[in-house]
Amino acid sequence: MSSNLAFATPLRSPREDTRSTPHIEIVSSREQRKARPRVVYAVVTVAGLFALFLAQLLLSIVVSDGAYRIAGLQTEQRDLGRQQQALSEQLDLLSSPQNLAAQAESLGMVLSNTSPVFLRLADGAIVGSASAAGEGQAVIGATGSLVPNALLGDIPLVEQAAIAGGTAPGTADTAVGGSFVDPVAGAPDAGATPGSVTSNPMALPSPVTR
Amino acid sequence: MNDARKTRRRLAVAALTILAVVSLFVVRLVDIQVVRAADLNTESLSKRSVAQTTYGARGNIVDTNGKVLADSVDRFDITASPLLVNAFDRTAEDGKSKTTVSVTDAIAELSTATGAPVADITASLTKDPESNFAYVAKSVTLEQLTAVRKLGIPWTYDVLHPSRTYPNGTVAGNLVGFIGTDGPQNGLEVTEDKCVGSTNGSATYERGADGIRIPGSTVTTKEAKDGGTLKLTIDNDFQWYAQQVLAERTVELGAEWGTIVVVRVSDGHLMAVADYPSVDPNNVDGVPVTALGSRAFSSPFEPGSTMKSITVASLLDAGAITPTTQVTAPGRRDLGDGQSIKDAWSHADIPYTATGVLVNSSNTGISLLADKLADKETRRDYMLKFGLNSKTAVDFQGESSGSVPQTQNWDPVTNYAVQFGQGMTTTSVQMASAYQTLGNGGVHMPVTLVEGCQWADGTVTEVPTNQGTRAVSEAAADQTVAMMENVVTQGGLTAELTIPGYRVAAKTGTAEVADGNGYGSDRIISIAGLVPAEAPEYAIVVSFAKPVTMKTSSAVSTTFKKITTQVIKSFRIAPSDEPSPKIPVTW
Repeated sequence: MSSNLAFATPLRSPREDTRSTPHIEIVSSREQRKARPRVVYAVVTVAGLFALFLAQLLLSIVVSDGAYRIAGLQTEQRDLGRQQQALSEQLDLLSSPQNLAAQAESLGMVLSNTSPVFLRLADGAIVGSASAAGEGQAVIGATGSLVPNALLGDIPLVEQAAIAGGTAPGTADTAVGGSFVDPVAGAPDAGATPGSVTSNPMALPSPVTR
Repeated sequence: MNDARKTRRRLAVAALTILAVVSLFVVRLVDIQVVRAADLNTESLSKRSVAQTTYGARGNIVDTNGKVLADSVDRFDITASPLLVNAFDRTAEDGKSKTTVSVTDAIAELSTATGAPVADITASLTKDPESNFAYVAKSVTLEQLTAVRKLGIPWTYDVLHPSRTYPNGTVAGNLVGFIGTDGPQNGLEVTEDKCVGSTNGSATYERGADGIRIPGSTVTTKEAKDGGTLKLTIDNDFQWYAQQVLAERTVELGAEWGTIVVVRVSDGHLMAVADYPSVDPNNVDGVPVTALGSRAFSSPFEPGSTMKSITVASLLDAGAITPTTQVTAPGRRDLGDGQSIKDAWSHADIPYTATGVLVNSSNTGISLLADKLADKETRRDYMLKFGLNSKTAVDFQGESSGSVPQTQNWDPVTNYAVQFGQGMTTTSVQMASAYQTLGNGGVHMPVTLVEGCQWADGTVTEVPTNQGTRAVSEAAADQTVAMMENVVTQGGLTAELTIPGYRVAAKTGTAEVADGNGYGSDRIISIAGLVPAEAPEYAIVVSFAKPVTMKTSSAVSTTFKKITTQVIKSFRIAPSDEPSPKIPVTW
């Protein structure tokens, strides 16, 4: 409380004034303390909001990053799929009968159509009257392939000389089937071809599966 | 009073801060919405949603073993933007040096990569310099596309262009048909389009400025639908052999056309339908228009003596004859009014049995046998039961039903002529189907080319029916086959037709061809047969139309023997245990 009256305060030596002014505080009552708003709630709310914003930001970053990865992988998948298709296209072309016949002829294979002969795998019996295939019974023949395939183009023909050093294919290795199985000319008695498998001439080489 | 000022100050500071922040936002808003609106609008045009066609793949056509006859493949069109065509800088692989690539250099590089001639590319790019689109090369393969992409020319783009290829070329080319620029043009590609045809779908998505798809923005407006796989009964390798052998012989004989039809007796499935001339669907322009389509289905002709087997079976079934019925066949039989029928060779009366009539192919003999079943309608009905005079169950594109004239139109000559295959017409497939009936104990099975249409989810549609209809009794059919065996063992072509170890039944036919003025000197020669005769599994018909070098059916025998041998090998028919029964041909 201030007033307009002038006072004359007696001068006292500072040393003598040991009595300090009493420190007066207003003590808040319990109700007043409870009524005061708490800082921690505000801090929690704001922090929570920040956390939410942060989480959303991170999620959208991750999702966008995922979009780039997806785009990359989809392109890769598409390219690989195209490659596979191109290769299977080539495979279909190479397995076309025109190509197989041309390759077979180039290898010197002959087709014996005089009499069909079968080799029964179960007991090695030869069914039919076997005779050696003639030299001139070409698969396609002098007239050439009359069933053209415009896609074949310049597929190179396998040279017979290139495989002369390898093992002669065992007749029992390939299944008896398809159109161009050579008739077996009295199977085990044919002269020992280099690299043929049987030591016992009466035994059949067992089929090899992969 | 200090406190009040302090409160007011704090409030003022807070209000000012908020105002500052809000005004910042307002300024930014005004900037975007008003000041830069036009620029941003044009920029956003490229960021709008993109409409995309999702392609459905056309279904493959495969043979009975799954080998692909018609294949759907990806091809690419290389396009360019003539507006942007210009020289550009190419960074070398070390990342440092740059070379300027001129337009002519770029065009030359494109030409080597795609195989399109330089002149064509230049013409296409310079035709309309203001346009945004021009073709550089059409339908290039993946290899060529990769080469073009490697060049890194900024004004070229690529567009997917689904395409069709036929890896087996001419094999079954007449059956499969081909695709033109407007869609399927011919053959099974057209008639089976509801099986193999696909529909494209569409989808939209939004993408960012760098072209990456914005996640979650893809909306499929229409699903793409793939075509199903069409499975044929044809055996690819066997069909090739049939076509090759047929082509060789047709050319040798100088014939106008030739057919080979092989049918499986038990269910009427077609193993091979070979035509010559035929078409490679990869190269349709390489053949004349007459070579498209399948003559085996569409060209009816008077079959000649191969019809006699059907006549004999009908007479046996009616109980009118037995295999040993005796007749005396004259060289020429007078029918009154100056009309007569005669045999292919002039001879005196010969005492033939019914088997002898068949073995020696005597027209007069068959007419005498036919007398024993006088009713015309009955005899005609038998022909219909064998499948003649109506389209086969295949209903191939352009198929003919052949024609057996109505009995009221039968003059005295036609009355007998239809029994030895003149005065009525059939197609090669119909003949094969009739022989299938003979081999199947008299039960006619519907001729089948399509085994089924398999969809991606595993369902199979268009499965053929297994219902047969009886034409003649089993005994009649079996007896006919036995009689036909004697054609091979006792006839004039024994050496040419015998396959050691196997019993084959066959009948030859040398038919005269009408030329508008009666019959001319042209012939249609054929042999129809069944193998193995003791329990027939396959019916084979080989025909050549209007050969020049040899006009008798003996010319067919080498081809018939080759194809029959191939049937034995391809379909693994075991040799016969018992010898052929010999039926007396004369009495």
